[in-house]
Amino acid sequence: MLPRIADSLSFLYLDVVRVQQDDTGVCAEITSERHGTETVYLPTAALSCVLLGPGTSITARALSTLARHGTTVLVVGSGGVRCYAATLPDSLTTSWLERQVRAWADDGQRLGVARAMYEKRFGSGTVPADASLFQLRGFEGARVKAHYQLLAKQYKIGRFRRNYDPESWEDQDPVNLALSAANTCLYGIVHAAIVALGCSPALGYVHSGNQQAFVYDVADLYKAQLTIPLAFSLHASTNPEAQARRSFRDGLRLFKLLPRIVADIQQLLDPAGDYEIEDPDEQLVDLWDPIAGAIPGGVNHGGGDMRDERPHPWHP
Amino acid sequence: MASMIMISATAVPDHLRGALSRWLLEVTPQLYVGTVSARVRDELWTSVSASIADGLAVLAYPDANEQGFSLRTAGTRRRHPLDFDGLTLIGFRKESQESMKPL
Repeated sequence: MLPRIADSLSFLYLDVVRVQQDDTGVCAEITSERHGTETVYLPTAALSCVLLGPGTSITARALSTLARHGTTVLVVGSGGVRCYAATLPDSLTTSWLERQVRAWADDGQRLGVARAMYEKRFGSGTVPADASLFQLRGFEGARVKAHYQLLAKQYKIGRFRRNYDPESWEDQDPVNLALSAANTCLYGIVHAAIVALGCSPALGYVHSGNQQAFVYDVADLYKAQLTIPLAFSLHASTNPEAQARRSFRDGLRLFKLLPRIVADIQQLLDPAGDYEIEDPDEQLVDLWDPIAGAIPGGVNHGGGDMRDERPHPWHP
Repeated sequence: MASMIMISATAVPDHLRGALSRWLLEVTPQLYVGTVSARVRDELWTSVSASIADGLAVLAYPDANEQGFSLRTAGTRRRHPLDFDGLTLIGFRKESQESMKPL
């Protein structure tokens, strides 16, 4: 499980391999010029997430073994920069999804998470405790503008204006193109982290009305640090988009970012919690009860004192 | 600080076995286990890899990475560590035993 990054391996990225189950375990068959066809056994139970890149094929048996061990499998673009599809293991806990929905459905709590997100970006104590969303948007706009100005000055490129209009894509400056490309990579990684936690990418706190709203929320936490400086450094590039993607992949130690994203999401959704969760194999389904909270499932609750004597619709 | 190390040494010269058994326990043939300092570990590994000849050896020791350990190998081995963006897995060629029929 991803939340237990401390004791399991976070991510394995594979591309141009065939993943299959043999008599002993799940293995990847890797063909390289130097070593020919080689077999690599995957430590399925120790992995929290497997990213399958382009050129991968996987057998149904291998996929079900991974699912049985609670490993999330994601189909991603080259280098993990886009997330096309994901399998969620049956045993993946819904506790983070429930926290997300609880904090999202209540306007007060939702504003609290939005405020915590701004504090994460601009430092604690930078947002007044009673700031409204309108004020937060104002703070954010001013901060980001100042950041652009600072970097524009640093790289001596006069005036910079963010523009991501798809209509005029071709005649944009290199910084805008590089920033759009690098942000797309960042969205893919964030999407993978959200899905691997079992959260919904669609329920955002600041953004809303889009299947990726939560992805945009979380990605915003890292742009000032990761993608914006990267884009400005490519201001003289002739092929800014491809170069942005390559730098993002090579230079930023992509897979060290994922555990950080997970920890940040957990902290936002559960500021007071320690992130220990039970072993998914041991966990039975809980039944919801508005008064007692979660009560254990797998138990016959039919005995004892039931006040509700109405006939059951299926057994009149 | 001393930490546990594990060395597997196959077909190495006798004098090397002597050197290893001075520091480590040979718990099962060719497998040495012990707790030594990083300096002793490096010295032992230098002498193992210098006199490996036709043999082969692997060293595993605790390290501050995600997996919690690192591997070093010497000699020509059928299995060798492969790096997957910082994650070390073992690759090897299946020679005679094909488990899947060719398509």
